[in-house]
Amino acid sequence: MALFETRGLTKRFLGVTAVDAVDLTVEAGELVSLIGPNGSGKTTLFNCVTGYLAPDEGRVTFQGRDVTGVAAHRIARLGIGRTFQLVSVFPRLSALENLLTFLQQHQEESLVGRLVRAPRVRRLEAAAVERARSLLDSVGLGGRAEAPAGTLSYGQRKLLAFAAALMPDPDLLLLDEPAAAVNPTMIEQMKAQIRALHRQGKTVLLVEHNMDVVMDISQRVIVLDHGQKIAEGPPEVVRRDPKVVEAYFGR
Amino acid sequence: MRATRWVLGSAALVAVPWIAAAVVPGQQRYVLHVLIFTALYGALALSYDLVVGHVGSLSLAHPAFFGLGAYTLALLATEARWPFAIALPASIALAAVVALAVGVPMFRLTEHSFAMGTLGFAIVTQVVATNWVDFTHGPLCVTGIPKPQVGALRIATLPAFYWMGLGALALVALLYRGLTTFRLGRAFHAVRDNETLAAAASIDPLRYRMLAFVIGGAVAGGIGALYVSYVGVLCPGELTVSLSVNLLVMVFLGGVGSLRGVLVGAAAFTALPEILRMAPTWRMVIYGLLLLVIVIRAPDGLEGLMRRASSRGRRPSASGA
Repeated sequence: MALFETRGLTKRFLGVTAVDAVDLTVEAGELVSLIGPNGSGKTTLFNCVTGYLAPDEGRVTFQGRDVTGVAAHRIARLGIGRTFQLVSVFPRLSALENLLTFLQQHQEESLVGRLVRAPRVRRLEAAAVERARSLLDSVGLGGRAEAPAGTLSYGQRKLLAFAAALMPDPDLLLLDEPAAAVNPTMIEQMKAQIRALHRQGKTVLLVEHNMDVVMDISQRVIVLDHGQKIAEGPPEVVRRDPKVVEAYFGR
Repeated sequence: MRATRWVLGSAALVAVPWIAAAVVPGQQRYVLHVLIFTALYGALALSYDLVVGHVGSLSLAHPAFFGLGAYTLALLATEARWPFAIALPASIALAAVVALAVGVPMFRLTEHSFAMGTLGFAIVTQVVATNWVDFTHGPLCVTGIPKPQVGALRIATLPAFYWMGLGALALVALLYRGLTTFRLGRAFHAVRDNETLAAAASIDPLRYRMLAFVIGGAVAGGIGALYVSYVGVLCPGELTVSLSVNLLVMVFLGGVGSLRGVLVGAAAFTALPEILRMAPTWRMVIYGLLLLVIVIRAPDGLEGLMRRASSRGRRPSASGA
């Protein structure tokens, strides 16, 4: 059974079909890229499977469970992590607190326990801080742990958002353009991070425009055009697929 | 060092009735009266800041919850002769239940619509208080509200009311701190700063907004109940929209989202007009000008001024060491 699946997923906006009957399967441990020209429905698809948009038709299953139309915070709770295309952090919280925020809802505790800071909650917090520091170190932000996230550079915020999504150790990670608007050094760093995740056995689905990144790291590529899946396969095969070439460069 | 300062500060606050009697013998009653109002307003402003400052929802419904608590206690104590020890929790509970019922539809509205919706609710509440004469006595007011009595303890003198106000303020301040720091505080601020990202962090924005709204409403109800048992009279004019304006001034003048800032704001708002009584004709003009100066010179409120002043004061000593 696949880890993650969509069947006939469809989303329409005022008569425009942004995602058109897309079937998509991601097996556990895979590193899959979703590509396509601007406006081909990649981000809409992401938003449909993470609870930010309700699909009009079709089903989304995760770990054999139907999660179609489930609210965003519940989907995240189930183990699907995601990042956003426009860099997204909590600007007034420190880098460390940003990471802690992503783990705390996954640690079972009562409201009263949180209010009075019960010993159990304090222990969980200490464990969370430890994990957050090691993740910050791994993305090279160890020295900026106490800095308000809003004061970090664009690339650093992108790395921070990536580390934050990893905090709760998600079973599936959806990355929306991790390499967009980032300088070349940072792109290399991001590629290394994603590869490292893959080696650890994590499942990653990424939307990306940067073809070097896509061809370099993906095991499998899925191509969308006008909301429809037009090709799927290993990077080197998809790259030569006439339908893909046409979608990108025209006839 | 910090702990000693805390103990000394608290002791001084508790000893105010005696200090006032020694320093301004003729004015003791007046000073205590202003301080009781300051404490109650401070607690009310903190409960308001939970909603406005920490989850970032501009609610204008606060006077309604304050009024609900006030009317519940006033009517239970006069008509039903309920003892204070039961009437006070009932006021808090009713305000909480109404906040829960009102919050569910209101939070379906976004930003400005939410402000308008809660404003509408506040106005409706006041209209009901004014016109449902059979029940609330309308403009005739609820009078003769008895002084609180819990067992053998009777709160009737000004110092006793002062200590009651101080106790209430301390409790609310503790609750405020517990809610706005550590894990709960992070969840609140995540929702305030970026709702979409908060959901990706498994935080249910509605749940945390409701939590702040209901607790804020419940505290406002409790403060309303204490307020009427001190004043002894309750008229519908107490819950006008101008109360929201006053609370907004206190919170923004003092410093949104800061315990110290909001308390200083509440103190400045209640005490300053009284101090300025020395210049009776120009009192409100001076007050208005001061507000303007603060808003222009310190947009982040008095808290921002204090923080800058303390960091400036610290720097020379750090370089000297």
